[in-house]
Amino acid sequence: MTGFVRDMARVLTMRCREHVVLFSRQLDTPLSRGEAFGLRVHVLYCGGCRRFREHLVHLASLGRELAAQSGREPGLPADVRTRIYARVATATKKN
Amino acid sequence: MEHTRSSGAPVGVADMMTESDFPSRTTLDAETAVLSEGSTDTREVAARRWVTEHGDMLWRFAMARTRSSEAAEEIVQETVLAAMQSYGRFTGGSSERTWLMGIAAHKIADHFRRVRRAKSPGMAGISPDATCVCSTCRGMFTGDGMWACTAGKWPDLKLSEAEKKEQADMLRACIDALPPGQSEAVWMRDILGIPAAEVCKAMGLTDTNLWTRMHRARVALRSCLETKFGVRKGKGQ
Repeated sequence: MTGFVRDMARVLTMRCREHVVLFSRQLDTPLSRGEAFGLRVHVLYCGGCRRFREHLVHLASLGRELAAQSGREPGLPADVRTRIYARVATATKKN
Repeated sequence: MEHTRSSGAPVGVADMMTESDFPSRTTLDAETAVLSEGSTDTREVAARRWVTEHGDMLWRFAMARTRSSEAAEEIVQETVLAAMQSYGRFTGGSSERTWLMGIAAHKIADHFRRVRRAKSPGMAGISPDATCVCSTCRGMFTGDGMWACTAGKWPDLKLSEAEKKEQADMLRACIDALPPGQSEAVWMRDILGIPAAEVCKAMGLTDTNLWTRMHRARVALRSCLETKFGVRKGKGQ
């Protein structure tokens, strides 16, 4: 409980410059419960951070669209595959 | 300070090459290196299996980043040869696919380092300290760390397929403009959704390195997209 309050208090007293770092980090690793709660409270009254978070969500959505587009692209062409197999064989024989 | 583990050609002659040199470039690192572990047959069998199982994925990754079939072929080939060199050193900390992606990411970053330096020595993509494009402020934050201005609302997410594609193309262009190393990390983490721990392992980064790199990249992408969307800014907070 102490850790929760300490983390929340730390986040609530941060500047927005540090909040945006946490928003980004949250996408890569779970924050502590206190940090996550502090951020949720902060966006209730900070329009700048709320908008930043919206933009990260939008970015993630476009990222999924880009992944889907890329997944529909053709795979390794047959002639390239053949050349790479040949190159692999040459590299193996050299040693 | 970010640390990038480069696995490609050392800085020097390769940096002076132009894009047109790529198809004919034959001085691969892997070509001259000694394949140190595993028997010849085992390595060849493994390399062929990588090409069969992961070749499509490596090709799409390289094509998505370079949009040049010559460069993509070289990257996939170098990746497989470099993986053969490291055969036996793959520890299993990430999946084999992510491990190969990590090698390819280094090769792609090396490719862009060469191309960008050859084309324009001063062009290093978007500054890591991306600034707000708002005409009334010079940066995202004021000197005391508060928002310099509230960013504008972006176009609605409920888009038609054509609009979605258009925005995704904009994002692709913005990713291309990121510094080498950042764009590959973004592609692996935010586009392909590979778990952060695996990306760290594959790219040889610590957690903190990756978080810093991703944060800088996302801020830069946000700023870049904002410019492309032509969003008007509200007044300062």
